[in-house]
Amino acid sequence: MSRREEILARVKTVEALPSAIQQAIDLLGDADADMGELARIIEFDPGLTSNVLRLVNSPYFGGLRTITSLREAVVRLGAGQVFQLLIACGVIPCMRAEIKGYGLSPGMLLEHSVVAAVAARTVARELGLTAPDHTFTAALLSNIGKIVLGTFLEVDAGPILEIATRHGLTFEAAEEAVLGISHDEVGAALLEHWHLPEPIVFAVRWRLKPEQAPRRDLALDLVHMGSALALMTGLGVGVDGLNYRPSPVVAERLGLDAAALERILASVVTALDEVRALFTA
Amino acid sequence: MQQVIVVNISDMKVSRKHGDVLTTYSLGSCVGVAAWDPKALVGGLIHCLLPLSTSSPERARENPYMFVNTGVGTMLKTLFRMGATRETVVIKAAGGANMRGDDLFHTGARNTEVLRELLTRHGFTLAAGEFGGSIPRGLTLCTDTGRVTVKTFGKEHDL
Repeated sequence: MSRREEILARVKTVEALPSAIQQAIDLLGDADADMGELARIIEFDPGLTSNVLRLVNSPYFGGLRTITSLREAVVRLGAGQVFQLLIACGVIPCMRAEIKGYGLSPGMLLEHSVVAAVAARTVARELGLTAPDHTFTAALLSNIGKIVLGTFLEVDAGPILEIATRHGLTFEAAEEAVLGISHDEVGAALLEHWHLPEPIVFAVRWRLKPEQAPRRDLALDLVHMGSALALMTGLGVGVDGLNYRPSPVVAERLGLDAAALERILASVVTALDEVRALFTA
Repeated sequence: MQQVIVVNISDMKVSRKHGDVLTTYSLGSCVGVAAWDPKALVGGLIHCLLPLSTSSPERARENPYMFVNTGVGTMLKTLFRMGATRETVVIKAAGGANMRGDDLFHTGARNTEVLRELLTRHGFTLAAGEFGGSIPRGLTLCTDTGRVTVKTFGKEHDL
């Protein structure tokens, strides 16, 4: 078995998401789904319910601090938005742990992921684009492959960084050279294993190679640039450092130049305190 | 007793208290500037996100520390009010990393360039600096000794 096959096989052994989330995902996949049923499933999990309510009531997600039940959240914000926040709440617990192999102490991966998610949404807002519902969640999950590689497989990213530096490669290219697979592809495989919706899996899968993606996708472009901005802030960055390349093609497609990028970075950092508190509480 | 004071992104802290340590983590493209006066024994540390306030004048009014051109001068003036002088203040800086193969934005390089220009224009010398590359850095200043260290990937060295 090659190292790549070994890694992909290991992904399939990762524990499933909490059952309420898995049931909600399955329900959302059903075109005839009853949205009241979605609320009912989530309400069986009180911790999850309170976390989702905290998000839907926050000004950042357009809430008015008056939504008291998931049924009301679904009615007022729409099932799509609630579903995205539900996925975020379900996955966050596994993003808090230390990821030794990638030099991420406890909380760092979550910190970086929240910055990337805020940045992806801010890029859209500042450029006058409408971000698809799943943009925030996809960006939040964009580094999740590092959990599989750095924790479950105990990959040490140090030697990978050396190769990237020595040969002038991006980090994902060095991962491919050493492991036969990069963390973005591993992350997408994990999200597929969890039955997450295809648009999220797609954005995570092609985040680092948007020019090679089989189709153009606005959420992917936003997640790509959100990730780039998060790296520039330096927040929650591990041993892979800033060894990733922002795509000029995506920048042109979005209409993002250096002046806009700086304006957006300022907005992202300003919004962070509020959003960070929502996810780290 | 040693007290660690954390300087966040777009933030600045000063201290004259013996044993205080000013530190900032996660300098990506940002630049961190440490200024210390050996006579007045006061020090300051700033973590600037962006080079020029013209990119977001409104944000600069709310928080001048976000930008190199408005933040560094504000920090130095604060230190001068605390007894530091132009002649004795020691300035060191680090950060300004760039994404690998970034031919688009050059944010780290621009932060570094604007800092260097600003200091030169106002007659200050950069005593030490470590900029560029694609690595995140942390920067720490001990206010009683003026020791400045850079931390990358868990390893720390003097600047």
